Amino acid sequence: MRKIFHYECCRLLRNKFFIGLLLVLLFFGWQVLSRRTILGVSHTAPFSPWSFGDYLSRMIPLLWIGAMLFLTFFTSAAARRAAVLTDAAPAHPRCYAMARCAAALTGTTLLALCCLAEAAAFYWSYFRWLDWGELLLPALVTLAPPLVFALGSGWLAGQIRPWLVYLWMALPLAWTALPLPKPFGIWNGHFFTEYPLTLQILDPAFTMPIPVLLTQCTFLSAGLTLLTCRPEKREHGKKRK
Amino acid sequence: MITARLFPLELHRLLQSRLTWLVIALSVLSPLAGLVLYKPASAGTMLSVYLANPAIAGGAVSGILFGALTIYERSRSLQRRTAVLVSAVLSPLDLALAQMLALTAAAFLALGLTMAAWLPVSIKLIGSVFDSFDYVLAYLIFMGLALPLAILAAGAVCQFTGRADLSLVCFSAFAGLSLTVWADNWQLCWLNPCVWALSDDFSNLRIFRSAAYMRFTWLTALTGIWAFSRLCIRQYGKGILGSLARNMRRVYRPAAAALLLALSVTVGIAQPLVDHSNPDETIASFLELPYLENVLCSGRSAQVFPNTALGTVSGRASFQFENTSGQQQTAAFGINPGYTVSSVQANGVGVPFSVSSYQEFNEAMLKVFLPAENEIELTVEYSGFPQEDRNSSSMQGRTEISSEYLCLENAALSPRLMNVLPDGGMLPAAIEITLPASMTVIPFGTGEATAAAHNNDGTTTWRYQDNGAGGILYAGDYIRQDIEAGGISVEFYYGRRHQAVMEAADAAGAVKAVADYCTEHYGALTFAAGGSLKLIQSRVSGGGYATGGASLLDEADFTATNLNNQSKGAVPGEVMIHELVHQWWGLGNMFDSSDETDAWSAEGLTVYTTYRIVKELYGEDYARQYYVDQWQQAVDDYYLNFYIRNPEDLEMLPADKRLEITESLTYVRQYCEMPLKILKAEGLVGGETAMDRILRELFNRELDPAAPYLTYQNFLDACGLREEDLNLA
Repeated sequence: MRKIFHYECCRLLRNKFFIGLLLVLLFFGWQVLSRRTILGVSHTAPFSPWSFGDYLSRMIPLLWIGAMLFLTFFTSAAARRAAVLTDAAPAHPRCYAMARCAAALTGTTLLALCCLAEAAAFYWSYFRWLDWGELLLPALVTLAPPLVFALGSGWLAGQIRPWLVYLWMALPLAWTALPLPKPFGIWNGHFFTEYPLTLQILDPAFTMPIPVLLTQCTFLSAGLTLLTCRPEKREHGKKRK
Repeated sequence: MITARLFPLELHRLLQSRLTWLVIALSVLSPLAGLVLYKPASAGTMLSVYLANPAIAGGAVSGILFGALTIYERSRSLQRRTAVLVSAVLSPLDLALAQMLALTAAAFLALGLTMAAWLPVSIKLIGSVFDSFDYVLAYLIFMGLALPLAILAAGAVCQFTGRADLSLVCFSAFAGLSLTVWADNWQLCWLNPCVWALSDDFSNLRIFRSAAYMRFTWLTALTGIWAFSRLCIRQYGKGILGSLARNMRRVYRPAAAALLLALSVTVGIAQPLVDHSNPDETIASFLELPYLENVLCSGRSAQVFPNTALGTVSGRASFQFENTSGQQQTAAFGINPGYTVSSVQANGVGVPFSVSSYQEFNEAMLKVFLPAENEIELTVEYSGFPQEDRNSSSMQGRTEISSEYLCLENAALSPRLMNVLPDGGMLPAAIEITLPASMTVIPFGTGEATAAAHNNDGTTTWRYQDNGAGGILYAGDYIRQDIEAGGISVEFYYGRRHQAVMEAADAAGAVKAVADYCTEHYGALTFAAGGSLKLIQSRVSGGGYATGGASLLDEADFTATNLNNQSKGAVPGEVMIHELVHQWWGLGNMFDSSDETDAWSAEGLTVYTTYRIVKELYGEDYARQYYVDQWQQAVDDYYLNFYIRNPEDLEMLPADKRLEITESLTYVRQYCEMPLKILKAEGLVGGETAMDRILRELFNRELDPAAPYLTYQNFLDACGLREEDLNLA
């Protein structure tokens, strides 16, 4: 399993796509940080959990697309053709799939960590600010649910029809354009700009109302469920019969 | 030739694809997003709401769709592993060109269908102010040109990366930046042009020019990038560098790409639409120039010839100087940065001159060396395309010059003398302007223009007398309505196309109510005895101004949308009320404006009076909701702003960021904080009647020529209050 995981990680991360994706993400992130985050949101500092969360929510669409594209490594027509060989490996298909999902999760996590590192560099270069402890929780609740859900749902979509993954990539377009209900506020960033104002205190610490927390937990659980519990894959031999 | 042969085949193949038709169908529907979800044009005019927004949204959505289609089409042969076979028959470079052209043709087909489908809808929604010329230009520029840009961008990243996945990421980020963090930068927002308003009543050529110029810049840039990326198309099993080296053997290919890229950079840097004014608007160094000693100006004249087809202006300005210093002097003029000075002559002889590269408040400084002669007749010839201030570059459209409308302000009309005192305190000016015969000329001030000559080319030369170093002039297809109000005669000018709305909104009644209110509460205007007041409707500009004898009324004050929706936030006529009140506060009484950051200015009393008038016209609840509550909200936001609370963090930012933040906050102090303080003072002095009495006394006070300004201390003394009594914290 470890070898498969290692191999799949190499496939995903040691290529031009990952480097290109990373560069695009960093460029986009710097534009957001230097043009929007620097102003701060909801009367808070640019390095407050709220401004930081706003930055992350603006990055989610690109991270989502990146995660989907990682999945296309496993769901594309070429990957399906190679499945005849990989299925012959002495590993249970479920374990094999788990290793691949873990590799995709690793790739996505690395991208997310790069976004965090970029924010750290920005905060240091502009404000000499290093107090990262208070930003870990917003980073986790902002990034983990959508990205885990992206991988879980994307994996499922790719198993049904490979082109569904590409369609699923457009989902961030929809959620940024459509007026979402308040519990989904983290997904389009409105939560970070609106909720602190309702708290009626200056520079509030990061908190979340129950509905938002539940929504994030639901998406995280759904993502994990989709990643771990999937229907048994039909064997190629049976399909031919 | 090969491309010409391939193009129809490729287009035919493309149009047989169901995916292409799906993209075309979605493109036709895409303007719907501008009515529901994405509304970048914030003005309330009908064309902004029902034409600009759908066209811009249509461009953004269909641009993204065609970009995705391009990536799909370009990567199809790679995915299906047919690239090797195809390249054995055809040059992949030729195929790429044919595909790009076919996709562009499909995009323009989608545009044509969209325009056809939305024409009846737009006519229905826009109503009587629908204009087919605006409709065609809006869809062609705002929507149509987004499509080739998206196709070129997507095609270029495909050709660079050779991968569909990476191309998708790059294209998404590029589109995402345009739609979000670049959206306020008129040159960067390649997908969604920075258009905040379209005028219903007058032409929109200036904003169309701006959007078209941005499109042209990006078109040359992306064509250059695409042409360069075409050289990176993988051939003969080589990688990107090997293929590039192989494809560059035909020198014209990289040369064409380099030429296009160089052109785009030049076009971007040398854009003629927006100037390079100092972004720090607290600096007004041109106003601080010392006056020349022993040099006086006894008069000036100007002949101005706007070219309404090209939007340019040429002119000749003359100044009469008296130089008793016996030596050479340097006169300074403010001139629109878009103008080129072709000749300066003193008494018929050319004299040295220079135009500064430094610009502020939409002016560059023209320095002219005056000879050591006693009487000097200085003539300046200038011409060019008037540029707009870069500090308001996201709201372009102010310097509209067309056969329907024209606005030339100060240095855009004629060079503005800056460092020579007028002889006897008066600087008489004789202005001549030649315009199409259909236009009415209205000087923004006390002057009256008369038609001096009707020329054979269908133009009319107008002449008027003015006073002062600057001056503003409006011209267009105007209707004049005379109103007697508050003991003064108001000449009310508005666009002919706006007549129905003005009559339905009873705009004349609103003007009368405001003038009557101010006269009754504060006193009659001093110029009322012999003069009259002009109230001129401008093209939608997001605000207004006033001068002695004239105030501006924004087109957005009275719109059909406002008529149909009385509950919306902006009070109909709000700008008109504000600018009319400035005749009392700001012009009737002067305020020291040397410190731009000072909260006490003419705006405080003007905004407060506007609130009082709105309260009387529309009721207390309405005034509280749309005035007091909004001031309070803005002031709260101001005091809570992180950088106001932590100035040390502001100091850590680079100068440009610091400036951007402080500039955005100055407005609140003058337009929200001060009216709130006056409202608080009203409560402390005993209510509205007491405050009216105090303001009436201040308005009619005996002026001290040595200190003519109405200061904050004057106001506090009149109220019997101390500064700390009005603290809002």
